[in-house]
Amino acid sequence: MATFELYRRSTIGMCLTETLDEMVQSGTLSPDLAIQVLTQFDKSMTEALETQVKSKVTIKGHLHTYRFCDNVWTFILQDALFKNEDSQENVGRVKIVACDSKLLTQ
Amino acid sequence: MAASTSGVYVSVIEDVINKVREEFLNNGPGEDVLKELQGTWEAKTVQAGVVNNPIERSAAKGTPGSGVTPVHDLNVPYEGTEEYETPTAEMLFPPTPLQTPIPATPIPTPLPGTGDNMYNIPTGGSEYSANESGSSNGGVNAELKAGRSGPYMQPPSAWMNQRPPLDVNIAYVEGRDEADRGASHQPPTQDFFQMNSGKRKREDFPAQYQAGGYLPQQDGAGDAAPEIFEIEVSEGSSSIASRAWSEMLTRVRSSTLKIPQLDGPIPDPYDELSTPNIYNYQGAFNEDYNVASTPAPHDIPVSTPAPVVQNDVGDDDDDEPPLNENDDDELDDVDQGDELNTAHLVLAQFDKVTRTKSKWKCTLKDGIMHINNKDILFNKATGEFEF
Repeated sequence: MATFELYRRSTIGMCLTETLDEMVQSGTLSPDLAIQVLTQFDKSMTEALETQVKSKVTIKGHLHTYRFCDNVWTFILQDALFKNEDSQENVGRVKIVACDSKLLTQ
Repeated sequence: MAASTSGVYVSVIEDVINKVREEFLNNGPGEDVLKELQGTWEAKTVQAGVVNNPIERSAAKGTPGSGVTPVHDLNVPYEGTEEYETPTAEMLFPPTPLQTPIPATPIPTPLPGTGDNMYNIPTGGSEYSANESGSSNGGVNAELKAGRSGPYMQPPSAWMNQRPPLDVNIAYVEGRDEADRGASHQPPTQDFFQMNSGKRKREDFPAQYQAGGYLPQQDGAGDAAPEIFEIEVSEGSSSIASRAWSEMLTRVRSSTLKIPQLDGPIPDPYDELSTPNIYNYQGAFNEDYNVASTPAPHDIPVSTPAPVVQNDVGDDDDDEPPLNENDDDELDDVDQGDELNTAHLVLAQFDKVTRTKSKWKCTLKDGIMHINNKDILFNKATGEFEF
């Protein structure tokens, strides 16, 4: 199954990366194994989002910058409003990074 | 919402841990390290506020896991040289182990790329190799190739690491050695210098002979080296024409040299592996002109154009960085100014992105949003933006 490394930039992904980094630095873990763990994280995270998450969100805002490069869309929004069923968040500036979902299903 | 995010994260952590367990137990450091990984990971997510503190069983593991961490740190380097060695090679190794088992020629192409990044970072190496090759050969050739021998120097050190896997001290010194190249501030030991001198001699050969000189390196033994070294020296002082000729010579000799080499390391398997290794070395070493080198490392013409191409690349490097840097700076100003500080980020997959005049619509799925210090997951998201 193809995976994106995209989610490594999430909080949980950064926490894992930091942890692996420390363990590799200290000699507890081999770099190869650390990479395997990260790859597994890519898979598990993608799968969890597909199967466990059901919520819907709407996003509105002023598009400050858009960029499409290597099948990745990057949007920078200003004064964005995020709404889901039970809450809504206002953000002065937010970056959205999105990979092409078709790449996973191929 | 936050609760479910926490729940998903916990399940992801457990899923990952369960699925890599086999790897940890079979070839890896074992269950304890795996638990340490899980403990630290969970502790960090709790600390980041994205996982609720009372994780069912995970919370229980988190505390002892993180407590265990320092103990392992102290013990492991003592017990296993391998473990210490591995992180040392972290920057350099990943290509090498991959290269060794895979004899296919096409692979060198991607490898130089990776090697390029890794070896270019410690730029200090090139100055230092320039000195070396300058002192040993003192020719124009040496100058031309100094840039290459810099990045090239490190792969042999990786080999050096492999050879004395049982000696903790050597592995350790190697690590410092590499660190020093990146930033030369540590005042290491005499061992360090000795190791270097050994390496330099061997590395100089390939720098001179792109095609012919590899075999001696792999052996690592001093046996074959002296012969080639002599050739090299004479080559360095001679003209280009004679260099080409001497390369021919070495190529011829290299075929005879193969026999002693094969004796040195593991006989049969190494025989097969040696050829791809040569190519790979060259790949890592030739990054700048990999197009020429990859297809036909043993062809005579290759060696001649190679330096030329390298020069071109060097010129380009001189010209481009200012432009690129400026571009990046502008972007960075825009992007990072507010963004990285606040770091509101949405990571997702897009199904569709459309635009009508200044109205953008996009449908996203399977996303993680980090907004206002909260992590929010979504299955689907629709965005409407005005540009």
